[in-house]
Amino acid sequence: MTDARRPHAPTDWTTPAMQRRIRRRYAAERRFRALGLLAVALSAAFLVFLLGTMIRQGAAGFTETRIALPLDLRAGGIAVAPQRLAGPRGDLALAGAGLERAVDAAANAAYPAQGGAALLSDGAWLRVREAVKRDPTLLTRRVTLDVPVATDIDVACKGDGTAEAEATIAALTGKLSRGLNRSFFTGADATDPTRAGIWGALKGSLFTMLVTLALAFPIGVLSALYLEEYAPRNRWTDLIEVSINNLAAVPSIIFGLLGLAVFLGTFHMPRSAAVVGGLTLALMTMPVIVIAGRNAIRGVPPSVRDAARALGASRIQVVFHHVLPLALPGILTGTIIGMARALGETAPLLMIGMRAFIAAPPDRLTDPATALPVQIFLWSDEVSTGFVEKTSAAIIVLLVFLLAMNGIAIYLRNRFETRW
Amino acid sequence: MATLPLLFMIAALATIGWLTARARAVRFRADATRRFSSLPQHHGWFVTLATLLPPLIFLAVWNVTSPALVTDAVLATPPAAQLPPPGFERASILSEARHLAEGSSYGAFHALSQRLAPAYAAAQSRYDWIATAVTLLLAFGGGALAFLAVRPSFSARTQVERVVMGLLLAASLIAILTTIGIVASLLFESARFFRIVPIGDFLLGTHWSPQVIDPRDPGASLGAVPLFWGTFFIGAVIAMAVAIPFGLMSAIYLTQYAQPATRRWMKPLLEILAGVPTVVYGYFAALTVAPAVRDLGVALGVSWASSESALAAGVVMGVMIIPFVSSMADDSLAAVPQSMRDGSLAMGATRSETIKKVLVPAALPGVVGGILLAVSRAIGETMIVVMAASGVATLTLNPFASTTTVTKQIVDLLTGEAEFDSAKTLAAFALGLTLFVVTLLLNIVALVVVRRYREAYD
Repeated sequence: MTDARRPHAPTDWTTPAMQRRIRRRYAAERRFRALGLLAVALSAAFLVFLLGTMIRQGAAGFTETRIALPLDLRAGGIAVAPQRLAGPRGDLALAGAGLERAVDAAANAAYPAQGGAALLSDGAWLRVREAVKRDPTLLTRRVTLDVPVATDIDVACKGDGTAEAEATIAALTGKLSRGLNRSFFTGADATDPTRAGIWGALKGSLFTMLVTLALAFPIGVLSALYLEEYAPRNRWTDLIEVSINNLAAVPSIIFGLLGLAVFLGTFHMPRSAAVVGGLTLALMTMPVIVIAGRNAIRGVPPSVRDAARALGASRIQVVFHHVLPLALPGILTGTIIGMARALGETAPLLMIGMRAFIAAPPDRLTDPATALPVQIFLWSDEVSTGFVEKTSAAIIVLLVFLLAMNGIAIYLRNRFETRW
Repeated sequence: MATLPLLFMIAALATIGWLTARARAVRFRADATRRFSSLPQHHGWFVTLATLLPPLIFLAVWNVTSPALVTDAVLATPPAAQLPPPGFERASILSEARHLAEGSSYGAFHALSQRLAPAYAAAQSRYDWIATAVTLLLAFGGGALAFLAVRPSFSARTQVERVVMGLLLAASLIAILTTIGIVASLLFESARFFRIVPIGDFLLGTHWSPQVIDPRDPGASLGAVPLFWGTFFIGAVIAMAVAIPFGLMSAIYLTQYAQPATRRWMKPLLEILAGVPTVVYGYFAALTVAPAVRDLGVALGVSWASSESALAAGVVMGVMIIPFVSSMADDSLAAVPQSMRDGSLAMGATRSETIKKVLVPAALPGVVGGILLAVSRAIGETMIVVMAASGVATLTLNPFASTTTVTKQIVDLLTGEAEFDSAKTLAAFALGLTLFVVTLLLNIVALVVVRRYREAYD
């Protein structure tokens, strides 16, 4: 007992044992800090690697290889009067005249040793058709047009092709050129990678998003207003609140099952239609908007409400004339973020059948459609090597859209941020 | 009449109602000296709502009930007597007749449907006319009645606000309806499944091969234990082995060590990881990571390393979850009061000792809650495993072997042929129900942990 009261001898920090201990502790400190830095750096490196891989693989998807094709359409047996080319009947007139055969024959004549018509992409004659419609005099004179080549040649030109394709390219030196693949942005899905484009999928995504926004935004905002401004605290509103929070955490594929069972199974809505996809995604996006909306509404100070009430405004007027306009930037930010998540969502759309091969862009909400992420998924399953770059290119387009949406959300947040 | 022109007509009526009611209210306010309870626009809105709501409600109900009414009318016609008894064939003939009547189909398999088609067309057009007439009558009648009510003493504002309140409440109820819809559809389809397959076989069986189901004993090839194990192995073991250390250390570095400028840049950068669509991760996992993992396995001496390994899917999923873990950890580290940190530093502890012995233990409930939420997200994640994991269900501990998950199987089961009655498709709903219950439990536990065990300071 007496020992405890005796003062300790002061620690001698200069002894070698103590010095060693301090050095060890400082080393541990440096190690820990380096580990933290490593974790951040590796996570960032993974992101950079992911984006880099996609851009490296996808950049080639925006370009196409073309071959110079000497054409003499009149000699090839195309006898179509130029005035018939005007209007929508032009396509029909040219197709009936055997343009596809004439183009193949021209290729056979120009490159007999390299495979002739097999060199050309399935869509090459479509390119000739466009050129003829732009300039009908092409029908009457000799021209040389650059048309897209077949997939194997295209792949070989961009890097890794088969040995025979490489040999063909060597024989064609000077005839091949590179150009922007415009049909990638204007076409729909196709079995031939040189013809496949994203416009069909993009339009489907657009339609789906339109339905999602039209449903999720008003319902989300109205229920946020109700829960935050009017709801009495009782068992019913608690139930609403709990189910909204739960819905935000339900895996997206469950919403797909719901869409399949309810919209397709019970209501017999059309399969793989943008309207069903939009409905399904709206149910998924709504809780996100409600939660963001409630936070924004809660951020409006009570003094604003009190002032309006004091001047004789009714509760509805307070909400719709004062609270909602002030909370709107926050609600919009949350909405854009929720829409961005819905735009990248794939699994629920697979469940309701939006994975069919659809070669024509949808014109109505009930038409069979596909969406951009689903298109990426479908292309990733394709065995043809030409689809690898198309998939990555489509991923780049999708990421650009998402980054733009998130950028707008951040801009809105910064622009309208208010401190009360 | 087609729906769209009808809707336009109702909208036009509503607009007219708004304008006339407002004009009338303006007129009787002009020369009055008393005060009014409502503004002219309130009267306008009152008439508009009275014009819009009844026909819209009627149309919504009508859309659900009219197909059955039309079918009943067709069944009353003489050719319908030859229909086969209720069942698959009868339904297919009826639906074919309907398509023929609508003009959306060009030929018919059954001769009978061709004879039923005119009856369908006639009944359809008769009921369409009834619907149009009733809709317009409701719109006009509702609007007219409301217009007659527009008088100086009428308090339109109270009425309008009552309706608006009703709309707000209805919007909130949609959340409950969705929840009920999810639970009901999952329960209903699962109940049909469990009538075919005993629930014990499904939950405890260890053999999963839905491609070949023995009709005498369907439960023998629908044991879901390998799926549960694969989901747990990929989502909760491998993915978390990546996400927890990386997420936690990132959060510690960014909150405790990094310069504010670095933090401002790095935090959003890491959050991009959570914003990348999962289909992109799936593609990346299948195309880049999986072959690398297989090569690694071969180099380590696992000669049969699969290119659809659990490791590839799990690692990529873990990376996707990093920002999720790190932001939850970030929040709970920030919630630890500065005085505790200062106290520890004042006692001579280094910063890492402070973090390990003071900050992390104090923030632990929040961190654990965040990890549970991350697990729930990982096991519900679909596209990465659909693209990178295999479809073969195996019970294995080897990360280089192939495994499958619940979500992957749901997608596989439902994207084949679309017969809605087989044990195969119904199994997807049973799996969905299991997934729903498990993620819900995880979320609830996570919230309870965060709320109850968070230590209150100050």
